[in-house]
Amino acid sequence: LCRGGLAERLCRLQNRERSAISFWRHQCISEDKIPSDKSGVLIVKILEIFEECTIQVAICQQLEQSPAALSPEDAVVNAEEPILKVLFTRETAAHLKGRPQDVIHIYPPWQKLLLQNADVPVIMNTYFSQKVLISEHSEAREKTYGLTKMLIRKNIISLAQTFRLDDLDDKLHQESSDNQVPCAPQTLNNGDPKRCPLALSAVNDSLLEMVESQGAVGWREVQVRVVIQRVYCLPAREGHRSYTQGNKPLCATPVANSDPPNARLCLLVQDAYGMFSEVQLQSLSSTDDIEQYCRRWEGKSCCLAGMKILQRTTRGRALGLFSLIDSLWPPVVPVKVPGQSQDSEMMTTNLPPPSFCYILTVQSGEIHVEVDEEEQISNLYQPPAVHGLKEILRIDGCNKRCSFWALVLYRRLQTKHSVPLDQRETLLFVTDSTLQNVVHGIPKVVVAALTASCVLSMEIIEALSAGSRLVFFKDALWGNGRIICVERTVLLLQKPLLCSAAGADLSELTGPVRLDELDSTTQANSICALRGTVVGVNESTAFSWPTCNRCGNGKLELCPQDRESLYCNQCSEVVTTPVLKMQLEVFLRCPSQPQSTVKVKVWHEITLFVLLTMLLFLQTYEVQSVLGKEVGLLNCYVHSVTSHPNCAVLEEIVLL
Amino acid sequence: STLPAVAEELLREIRKAFQETSQVPDELLLGLKFIFGPSAVPALDLVDQRSVTRVRSPSGRTLYQVLGSSGKLYTCYSSCHFCTCPAFGFSVLQKSESLLCKHILAVYLSQAMGACQELPVSEEQLTNVLLAEEEDEG
Repeated sequence: LCRGGLAERLCRLQNRERSAISFWRHQCISEDKIPSDKSGVLIVKILEIFEECTIQVAICQQLEQSPAALSPEDAVVNAEEPILKVLFTRETAAHLKGRPQDVIHIYPPWQKLLLQNADVPVIMNTYFSQKVLISEHSEAREKTYGLTKMLIRKNIISLAQTFRLDDLDDKLHQESSDNQVPCAPQTLNNGDPKRCPLALSAVNDSLLEMVESQGAVGWREVQVRVVIQRVYCLPAREGHRSYTQGNKPLCATPVANSDPPNARLCLLVQDAYGMFSEVQLQSLSSTDDIEQYCRRWEGKSCCLAGMKILQRTTRGRALGLFSLIDSLWPPVVPVKVPGQSQDSEMMTTNLPPPSFCYILTVQSGEIHVEVDEEEQISNLYQPPAVHGLKEILRIDGCNKRCSFWALVLYRRLQTKHSVPLDQRETLLFVTDSTLQNVVHGIPKVVVAALTASCVLSMEIIEALSAGSRLVFFKDALWGNGRIICVERTVLLLQKPLLCSAAGADLSELTGPVRLDELDSTTQANSICALRGTVVGVNESTAFSWPTCNRCGNGKLELCPQDRESLYCNQCSEVVTTPVLKMQLEVFLRCPSQPQSTVKVKVWHEITLFVLLTMLLFLQTYEVQSVLGKEVGLLNCYVHSVTSHPNCAVLEEIVLL
Repeated sequence: STLPAVAEELLREIRKAFQETSQVPDELLLGLKFIFGPSAVPALDLVDQRSVTRVRSPSGRTLYQVLGSSGKLYTCYSSCHFCTCPAFGFSVLQKSESLLCKHILAVYLSQAMGACQELPVSEEQLTNVLLAEEEDEG
C-alpha cells in the first residue's frame, strides 16, 4: 500500500473501528444489559427487511423512546413517526438476527445519508447495534412468528444502473479534454423492470397449469395453492460450475464445500388435482430447524409463486422420489379431474399413480412460498403411517416407504476403506416392542442403515452418540430385506403430532432390551448376545497399551528427557497416570452353537475385564488360568459367520 | 433497490468533499468500507497508484482500463457496470454478493478525485481494445 495514501488511511481507520466493535460487543455480552450511555442512540422498529448484495436493508420506524418505557398498547405503529432505511453489514445482520417488529438500538457512531431523490434517510455504519426485546411480548412473538419469515427477500441489482457523480450544473468540472462529448453514464430510474412488485393474481389450484404457462405473459404473478405433504432436506448438489466470458471458461470451481449450508430444505407438495411437485427451497445453514419445519408446515396449505422449473423427472429416473409419492397414493380425498367442471361428482380417487413430477425451485432473489401456519391441516394431507417393526419386516415388495418409532441400541460406522468417508453407511441397530415381545421366528433387533444421502440434524447426531434413544424414522425405505434411510427420510426425536398409529403405543418396551443369542441363523453385521466357556486364547493378538488419561490418545511416546515417563503429544504434556487398554481374542464354546468355534475380540474394560486383569497381573498370558471360565451374557457385534470352517467372529460391544 | 442510490450518494459526497478541500474525510472512507466491504481498500490503493485510465475516442466512446495489482490490465465499461476481471464474474454476476468489483469502484473514485489518466485514441484503436478482450477469452 502507498505510504500516506488513502488505502493506508482506511486500513488504519478500519482496524481502529474493528477493535471498537469487538470491545463494544464484548461489553454488551458481559454486562448482559443495555450499555448505559443513551446519548445519540437511535431507536428503531423494523417494519420490513430485505437483502441487497450482502447488505441487509431494514425499513424502520424511528421510535421516540425505548418501548420498554411504554405500555404494550402504546408500542403500536404511530403514523407520525419518521421512517428510516437502516443498512446492516452481513456480519452485523447475522449477529442481530433482526426481523419485522424487532426493536433495535443503534449506538453511535452511525452515519446518516440523505439521498437526492428520496425522502427516506439512510442510516449507515450501524456496527454498534443491539436488539432489544420487550420482555412479556418477546417470547410470544418468537413463537407465533412463522418460520416463513426466516426466508429473507434478496433483491438483484441491475448492472445497467450506473452512478452519476456530477450534478446537472456541474459539467464544467469534468476532466478536461479536447472534445467534450456528452457521454456521461446513464442512470436508470427506479431500477430494473424485473423487480416490479408482484401484483399477484387470483390463486390457481393446478401445478400443471402453472408449469405450462411458464414464459407466457403474467406467469410470474400466478399463484398456486398446494398442500405440503412432506418436508425434508436433500444434500446439497456437488458438482462444478463454471461461468464463461466469451467462449472460454474463466474459472471452474467446485460448488460443494464442507462448510454449511450443505442441505437444501425441500417440500413435496400436492395440488387439488393430485399432482405432486418437489419444491427445492433455500439452503439451510443448520439442519436443526428441520424438525420445526416438519411440525409447523406438514399438512398445511401454501401458495407458490414465481417458481422456476428445474426438471421434469419420471418414475424411471427418480426412484427415491417416486417411492415417496407412491406412499402417498392414492389420495385420501377425491381430487379434481382436469378438464372437467368443478362439480364434486367429477372428483375421483381412482387415478393411476403419477408417472412424472416437476421439480421446482425458487427464482433467485425472490422467495414466494407463503405457508399459512395458522390454518387447519388440509384434508388432502396424508400423515406418515406408523407401523411396528414386525409388520415392516413382513412388507412385500421393494422400495416401499415406511415410518416407525424405535429404540436405537447401537451404532456402527462402516469401515470399508475403499469407500470415501463421507459416503459411508452408518448402521443403526433398532428395536421396538413388536420385536422384543416375540418368542422366536423374527429377529429381536434389526438394522436401519443410514446412507450418506440421508441428512441428519446436529440434534439427532448428538442424541445418537449420547445414549440409547427413541427415534422416529419418517419415510425410511424397505427393500431387499433391509431398512435403509436415504434421501427424503427424516429422523426426528419427537413423534409428529399427526400420524396414523397402528394400535398401542409401540414405544412402550416392557423390561430390558434383549438381543438374540448367537445361533445358526445369525448373520454377519448383526448384533447378538453370547454366553459360553473359554476354550482358548489367541495369544498372538493379545496386547495392552497405555493411553492418555486426558484425551484417550493411544499413541504415547517416551519422554525425551526422562525415558521412564510417557508423553502425549496431543495434550503436549507428560502422562503421569496412563489408562491401560487391552485387546484379546478368546475362543468360546457356546451351548447355542455347539458345532462352531466362536472367536470373540474383547476390548478394554468390559465384562471380561476381570479376566484380563488377572492375565496382566501375572505379566504373562497364562492361558491356563482362563481356560474353562464361563462368560456371558456378552453383547457382541458379528463380524462374520462362515460355515466351512464353522466359525463366527464377533466383537464385544457396549450398547448405547 | 436501495443500495445503488446509497453508493451513488456516497461517491458524490466524496467528490464534493474532494473538490472543496482536496481531501476525503474519515467518515466517508469508513462509509466506503461499510458499503463496499473488502473492495474498498484495494480500490483506494488502485487510486493511490493512479491505475485508472480513461480511454476516449473522437466519437465519444469511452471505456476504462485499470492496471491490476498483478500487472494485468482490466477493462471496465462506462455505460453499464462491467469489468473483465474474474472477481466481477464471480462476486457480482454469479453470486450477487457485491455491487461492484474493486476496479469499477476505483474507476468511480478516480472520477471523483480527478485521478484518471487520460488516453485519447482513434476509433479503430478503441475497437481493438474491446475486441482484444474477446480474443483473449476465446
